Amino acid sequence: MTESKGKSPTINSLSHTDQDMVKSGLSRGVSRRVVMGWLMAGGATVAGAGSIVASATKAVAAMAQKGGTIKFASDLHGPSDTLDPGLNTSTIDYSRGRAHYNGLVQFNDDTSVRPELAEEFSSNADNTEWTFKLRQGVTFHDGSSFTADDVMYSMGRHYGEKSTSTAKTLVSDVAEWVRVDEYTVKAKMSGPNGDLPKILATSQFKIIKDGTTDFQNPMGTGPFKLADYQPGVRSLHTRNEDYWRDGPNADSLEIFAITDKVARTSALLSGDIDLMQGLDPKAIPQIESAPGVGIWSVASGAYIGIVCMTNTSPGDNKDFVLAMKYIQRREKIVRSILKGQGTVGNDNPINAAYGPDFCSDLPIRQHDLDKAKFHLKKSGITEATIQVAEVAPGTTDVVLLMQREAQKIGLKLNINKVPNDGYWGAVWMKTPMNVTTWNMRPTANVMMNLAFAPDAPWNDSLWANERMGQLLVESRAVTDAALRHEMYCEMQTLISENSGMIIPAHRNYLDAKSDNVEGIGTMPLGSLGGYEWPEFAFRTDL
Amino acid sequence: MQRMVIQRIIIGFITLWVVSVLVFIGTSILPGDVAEIVLGQTATPESLAAYRAERGLDQPLYMQYLTWLGGMFTGDLGTSKAGGASISSLISGRFGNTMLLAGIVAIISVPMSVVLGLLAAMYPGTWIDRILTFGTLSLISVPEFFIATFMVLIFAVQLQWLPAIATMSPEASFWETIGSMAMPLITLIIVVAAQMIRMTRAGILNVMNSPYIEMAILKGVKRKRIILRHAFYNAIGPIVNVIALNLAYLVSGVVIVETIFAYPGLAKLMIDGVQTRDLPLVQACAMIFCGTYVILIIMADVAAILSNPRLRNPK
Repeated sequence: MTESKGKSPTINSLSHTDQDMVKSGLSRGVSRRVVMGWLMAGGATVAGAGSIVASATKAVAAMAQKGGTIKFASDLHGPSDTLDPGLNTSTIDYSRGRAHYNGLVQFNDDTSVRPELAEEFSSNADNTEWTFKLRQGVTFHDGSSFTADDVMYSMGRHYGEKSTSTAKTLVSDVAEWVRVDEYTVKAKMSGPNGDLPKILATSQFKIIKDGTTDFQNPMGTGPFKLADYQPGVRSLHTRNEDYWRDGPNADSLEIFAITDKVARTSALLSGDIDLMQGLDPKAIPQIESAPGVGIWSVASGAYIGIVCMTNTSPGDNKDFVLAMKYIQRREKIVRSILKGQGTVGNDNPINAAYGPDFCSDLPIRQHDLDKAKFHLKKSGITEATIQVAEVAPGTTDVVLLMQREAQKIGLKLNINKVPNDGYWGAVWMKTPMNVTTWNMRPTANVMMNLAFAPDAPWNDSLWANERMGQLLVESRAVTDAALRHEMYCEMQTLISENSGMIIPAHRNYLDAKSDNVEGIGTMPLGSLGGYEWPEFAFRTDL
Repeated sequence: MQRMVIQRIIIGFITLWVVSVLVFIGTSILPGDVAEIVLGQTATPESLAAYRAERGLDQPLYMQYLTWLGGMFTGDLGTSKAGGASISSLISGRFGNTMLLAGIVAIISVPMSVVLGLLAAMYPGTWIDRILTFGTLSLISVPEFFIATFMVLIFAVQLQWLPAIATMSPEASFWETIGSMAMPLITLIIVVAAQMIRMTRAGILNVMNSPYIEMAILKGVKRKRIILRHAFYNAIGPIVNVIALNLAYLVSGVVIVETIFAYPGLAKLMIDGVQTRDLPLVQACAMIFCGTYVILIIMADVAAILSNPRLRNPK
């Protein structure tokens, strides 16, 4: 955060974006102490931060109003839009899910969790059994009561041969879900896992009504009811008047997509939409110079990765992979390609956004052409081919930069550009060198377990390390903080040094919004504060 | 004449069938299937298998085609393999939107182009002709995304007179809908009119070189009368064909305008269908587009025959 110079600063001395962040935090009930923490982390003094917060609190007090429509445009939609939580894979699905359903638990901005449909949740001493006490008096949109049966049905959809869930691997360690009574369910684990509630807070585990099979008009318990749903066109959500907690702020939400990024930005600038997902980093100056709109950028653990498959040449040669790691110009990628909206990567999927589990002791691998040359020579490889699709903004540019650096050490790196559609099925994990992107996951353990465990189905580079697998399982049972950190550090060191994955940069979630809408969070697991905005966003221009 | 129309209709149905086979094969040989694309990065072999079983994608391709063909004959377009919604529900609203846009553009641009084309042909080399030639040539050379984006920047972002997008929200009032459609309409009118004006002018000037026109000129008939009475009827054939092709384009080819204005029309739907390998959806769109072409071309041919006595009364 940047603080302008001058005596006793007020909220107006902050940059546009920071003002929004402070006001929005205060409006959602984030404590003054936390907001001051943000400001001081950005370099403000205690007195300065205090005075800013005081002026912002006044500004916010007048704001949180109910009513109005909020229009949100995502970057992608189509006939594949779905309200089936188990099949959710896109921002538009996640956002609609957040408006229509509730989960058992819910994320806070710092990725810790708080109760939602589960009033209380607790585990036994060794994290092998989790008990969820459900809230009573909650009703679905059709008036029927929410009970343990709905939870059992919703969870059951992530198991078994017939399950099409995109998140089944996340909960495969729950051996059995048990219905204790009408308002209590238990998850019996096959091994200890202290992170289960965080996993259940993600989009795929939203609670649907027992027996739902038709997802054109499913029943949820969420803050908004579905008034109109046309996949690939739009959805309209209206306030659920019988919501079980203080209802949403807006009267209605209109959710659709404008696939063209220039058109999406224009629609925000002209006031036709209030929130947009996926701002092109190149459009930052345009947004920042325009009145009434601002960027919403949240640092996250999401990353762009270059994959050298370790089961085939050239990735099976460790020296080759190391050479590819040393030619990365990490700072330049963040500065020039991501336009500052990202953080330097260290070939480690975990970064500071994961909090204490991040191994900050690991030194960042610097751009070093001498070392790269040495390793490349040792590998004896002089030519390689990489498949590139623009899986995340900037991916192609990252690879083009890599090609230039490769030339300097005498490697001919051929780039084969392939289309985005069909990429994950036909190219990823099927060609010797390709690109990948991962969104941030709720915990470091989940992230590494999905993409780096020896038996993980999505282990991008097929890097199988036995020690890694052991540590992943063992660390879930450890409660001692120092020991836990040590184990997490060992895992991150293993990945950074040995895996076939090159992670030059982590990208921020970069979106934009109108000044007339506040209440957007900073949760780093997805766009616009981890898709948590539908219930809490409000208009300030009513 | 009647025989010819019936023949054309039969050929039209054969064309539709051939196109359905080609589109089916074409979409199937693209890499990946709908299960791999919907589940994307999060797919596992088991979830892929479960998804394919649930949506009937585990059947051999020819069976999937026959199922679709059978459905077509009974009027059932099937359900989207990607999202599970029925194809008719996906298409119905968009079909209306596409027809509305194409219809308004046609009503405005066709008479306008023919009149302007005639004007240019009537007074070749004058300032009217020069302005029209210069204007249409410039507009033909400018890609439509440029015209569209440029208008958005001026009228939506800078002046804020018109909305930047035309989402056809059912809550919008009549005038709001007209306002939001203004820019897509203008873009398309510019694109199709420029071409039709050029072709009308060229078609008539072409006829003007024929001996019977020379005869008329020598006889002392006025140029206006020559064009309206003698040349125009002989030029109708090529002109209606250009009009038909442009109208077909308005139904099937306006994907860029639909994308830039987030207009929910059919062209974008077909692209979405191809991107997700959603065969029934792609097929349904392909049938609509192909059918449009067939009908419009038949109509153009009939118009050409009716306007031309030599074709009307063959020896």
